[in-house]
Amino acid sequence: MTALSRLATVLGVVALIGVLPWLSGRSPELSVLRARSAEQEATPEALAAVRAELGLDAGPLGLLGHWVSGLFRGDLGTSWISGGPVGPGLVEALGVSVTLMTCALVVALVTATLLCLPVLRRVGRGRPGRTGGVAGAALTALPEFLLASVLLLVGAVWLGWFAPYGWTGPASAVLPALAMGLPAGGLIGRLVADGLAVTATERWVTTWQVAGASTGQVARALVRRTLPALTTQVALVLVGLTGGAVAVEQVFAIPGLGRAVLGAAESQDLPTLQAGMLLLLGVSAVFGGLAALTRALLLGRALRTGSVPVPAPVSTTRRRDWLLPGAMAALLLAVVAAGLGRDPLTSAHPRLATPSLALPFGADASGRDLLARVAHGAVQTVGTAALVVVATLVVGVLVGLLSRASVGPVEVANAAPPVIVGVLVAAALGTSQAGAALAVALVSWAPIAAYVAAASEEVRRQRHVTVLPVLGLGPAAVTWRYVVPAVLPAAARNAVLRLPGIALALAALGFLGLGPTPPQPEWGLLLAEGMPYVERAPWAVLAPTGALVLTAVLAVSLSGLSWRRAPRPAPVTEHPLPVG
Amino acid sequence: MTMITATPDGAEALSLVGLSVRLGGVPVLRDVHLTVGATERVALIGASGSGKSLTAGAVLGVLPAGAELSGRVLVGGVDVTGVHPVRRPAAGRVATVGQDPAAALNPLVPVGAQLALPLRHRGLRGRELDRERAGLLASVGLTDARVLHSAPGELSGGQRQRVCIAMALASRAGLLVADEPTTALDLVTQAQVVTVLREGTRGSGLLFITHDLSVAAALCDRAVVLHHGAVVEDAPVARLLSAPQHEQTAALVAAARAGTLPVGAPA
Amino acid sequence: MSAPVTLVATGLERRYPLPRHRPWQQREAVPALRGVDLHVAPGERVGLVGTSGSGKSTLLRCLLGLESPDAGTVTVAGRPVRPGTTASLRWYRRLVQYVPQDPAGSLDPRATVRELVTVPLRALQVPGDHEAAVSTALARVGLDPELAGRRPGELSGGQAQRVALARALAPGPALLLADEPVSGLDLPVRDQVVAVLTELSTTQGLGLLLVSHDLAVVARLCDRTVVLGDGLVVEDRPTTELLTRPRHPLTRELVAAVPTLPA
Repeated sequence: MTALSRLATVLGVVALIGVLPWLSGRSPELSVLRARSAEQEATPEALAAVRAELGLDAGPLGLLGHWVSGLFRGDLGTSWISGGPVGPGLVEALGVSVTLMTCALVVALVTATLLCLPVLRRVGRGRPGRTGGVAGAALTALPEFLLASVLLLVGAVWLGWFAPYGWTGPASAVLPALAMGLPAGGLIGRLVADGLAVTATERWVTTWQVAGASTGQVARALVRRTLPALTTQVALVLVGLTGGAVAVEQVFAIPGLGRAVLGAAESQDLPTLQAGMLLLLGVSAVFGGLAALTRALLLGRALRTGSVPVPAPVSTTRRRDWLLPGAMAALLLAVVAAGLGRDPLTSAHPRLATPSLALPFGADASGRDLLARVAHGAVQTVGTAALVVVATLVVGVLVGLLSRASVGPVEVANAAPPVIVGVLVAAALGTSQAGAALAVALVSWAPIAAYVAAASEEVRRQRHVTVLPVLGLGPAAVTWRYVVPAVLPAAARNAVLRLPGIALALAALGFLGLGPTPPQPEWGLLLAEGMPYVERAPWAVLAPTGALVLTAVLAVSLSGLSWRRAPRPAPVTEHPLPVG
Repeated sequence: MTMITATPDGAEALSLVGLSVRLGGVPVLRDVHLTVGATERVALIGASGSGKSLTAGAVLGVLPAGAELSGRVLVGGVDVTGVHPVRRPAAGRVATVGQDPAAALNPLVPVGAQLALPLRHRGLRGRELDRERAGLLASVGLTDARVLHSAPGELSGGQRQRVCIAMALASRAGLLVADEPTTALDLVTQAQVVTVLREGTRGSGLLFITHDLSVAAALCDRAVVLHHGAVVEDAPVARLLSAPQHEQTAALVAAARAGTLPVGAPA
Repeated sequence: MSAPVTLVATGLERRYPLPRHRPWQQREAVPALRGVDLHVAPGERVGLVGTSGSGKSTLLRCLLGLESPDAGTVTVAGRPVRPGTTASLRWYRRLVQYVPQDPAGSLDPRATVRELVTVPLRALQVPGDHEAAVSTALARVGLDPELAGRRPGELSGGQAQRVALARALAPGPALLLADEPVSGLDLPVRDQVVAVLTELSTTQGLGLLLVSHDLAVVARLCDRTVVLGDGLVVEDRPTTELLTRPRHPLTRELVAAVPTLPA
């Protein structure tokens, strides 16, 4: 059932990519004809011949057949812009991207290892405890497009150590690999460090230590016991690298697959986009396969006997865990309150005016008030994010309660980076704020659904629920009267805590030109608009960067709170026993 | 039969001197005094919530984070108050068997490899180790060689508990703390585990923690009754059964008698 | 309370498929029940004992209509019992109710005692005054009606166990199936549960099928004891006879395992 669901979902995604030209409803025959020969007359006959050659008249099914049969012949399609085959260029780009991702992977693994070592050392000294995870949280806080911009600013522009653009040698891989690898490594490191800290509280660790096992033996056993439960999440982070590649390649102008795909979406060159997407899907599949293989190797016999370890519930939240997100939210609110009354659209100031009392954040290249733009951008970005949150909650709860048939869609949506989905949506529907929101919503419901599925499973296993069938309650009554009320509050809180993360995803799409169009004051767009002037007017970049960093820290500190597992019933308080 | 060696100099295997523990400011153990002689088997009895498991935690050095401890814990004459097992000197180490044998063994590592850990720590290698390990398993009634290569999940609850006991015996500590080791087992397996514990601790001290006086009576010489975190009675088991002094002890005795057969059954 | 009924199980067989190591391998199956016959006469109190892994739980799930046996039938008052829709089993659930292991642990901590006891009355569409039925059930287990507004967390261990028993009694069953109702309980609380079950079955005429690994509990409650070993009934005799002169080695082992205390 689950395997079938997975297969159907992957085939569905491939088919969706196959019919993209039909979905977009564009007529590329004129541009293809022009690209092939400038002299040829654009007669109706000539145009019809081109349409027939591209398979555009055959309807969605015919189009899909045309595309798939081409794939089997090794033909990835014909570009609508150049009129030439898209295959060779993309394969070259794939090589660049794979090199870059490998470098990023190394950075990520080193980072993750460094984050986990302190935990193992504490266990070895008999002082296990909660992981601080400050370094990990700080690394995770910066999404790739933001970190890439910051690294470009510092490493290439201010320090001048690296070339800012292009792909000329090993040195040009350093900054992009750091931009992609650090957040991924921070995330993996935090996951594994938290997992190790929880595993270290298991009873067998004491048994081993009392039995005289060495620190190394305990550490190895801890890692082997912790990793299998996390491989799925780690695989998601790795698949996320493909989305990061799009943003990072764009910032550093690296001729990789991500940039090619983005360019194809902007110029509506759908065959290039289709082929690029297919290659990215293949890269994701390789990452997923690697994770599954690692898991099988780590578990060995235990996988077959069914005694697979289950991640233990994470410790509960303390009150001071709310301090950091509270402070971030207050700062953001202050900025919004200060700028909301100002005009974000009129060019009433000198171009790139320096910050002053009248213009606290300065002016942008068109002479618009940056404080006003950041504040209005907050309303636009966060408002859209709120709508997305409501949609994801409804869809997530409904799908999460469904049977195992939803496994495939949940996994694929969970794994799909929002940037990649954003590219697809933009290709099919054109770029707009609504399109960006749709793209983010298409992937954001999955964590909620997965949470609801796990939590409701846990509720169904509780003994006051398992007894219900014998008391005469049917499955529907159990679900609606016992499972949903127990799961809904936590699911809603989970969804709301994801709001800043969704806002960041929207900003990432805006930054890449896949969201709202200028002159709208959207945060990602603000950052992208400021980048060309970063040397002359750093404040044009600093204002939106600051707002995004605040949101990012807010997102990460809140996601730490939402990582609590399914709700538990109130504990039955112990009473002294009646004597006699 | 493998035996645990007694502590040197005839020191007490365990002595708790005025042990008090507070959790989050709430006192959960109050001025507990308790000794276990070098080859004595002592039961610590109480209802759930009486502080039995916390006492075990204090002896083993694995109290929950945030526990405040006062008083002294002496194991084999060594002061180990609040010291984690990793940082204890060899003489202060305590072997342990818990209530849930499934949790006490690493589910991913075959039983044989886990059993080799304490033996290797003692310096055994190769053939010598194999022989010692087989002897240990035989002493807890596990003679099937397949057990060595099984993951803990492939064994029954009783088998797992016996592996835990073998592991505890292998470390040759002077004291074994058994925290409700029979509660999760059925009666037939319970009886077998009690026999293994009795045989295995002939040369060392045993602190046997239980809520069931009848199991304690089958195994121990002396019993200490814990109620609301304080010791309310400390006497030979036979005396406890015949003339309980405290009302909590009387309740435990009555409950234990209710668990025996109402008609005279042949043994 | 419903009129006393007879429960009959004949030739019950059940095997569980093991997970396959490789997808192309043949599925192996472990037999849990290998042809079990069981008979509970109206108002009779029967004990079902065996060590863990003997098939007790599987047998009980088949008797409760939660699991379908591979072969054999279960009938109550002459009507067949088999897993089906909630509505098709209502008649059965009104006649035969269930007490799980550590009954108090099966209480929803957020519901009041009154709500908890009303659940089966509503779900099984029991006719009559539900309010009165709740009071009757609470009285039958010796609980103060003033407790009806409390939640499980506000009750003592013994009281909570009684609430769970009252919930099983509310639809007015003629037979109770109890699955290790006292194992894992502290001894004094265990005593209270046994006392209530004794009261219900001896003086109130309720039929009882008690599943346990502990012969001492069975000896105090049941007239007849069935010993299950490896999916088969190995001995089925009056309890006193079984305790004094056990025939099968397994029975002897079970008798010997009951703790004894010097006087």
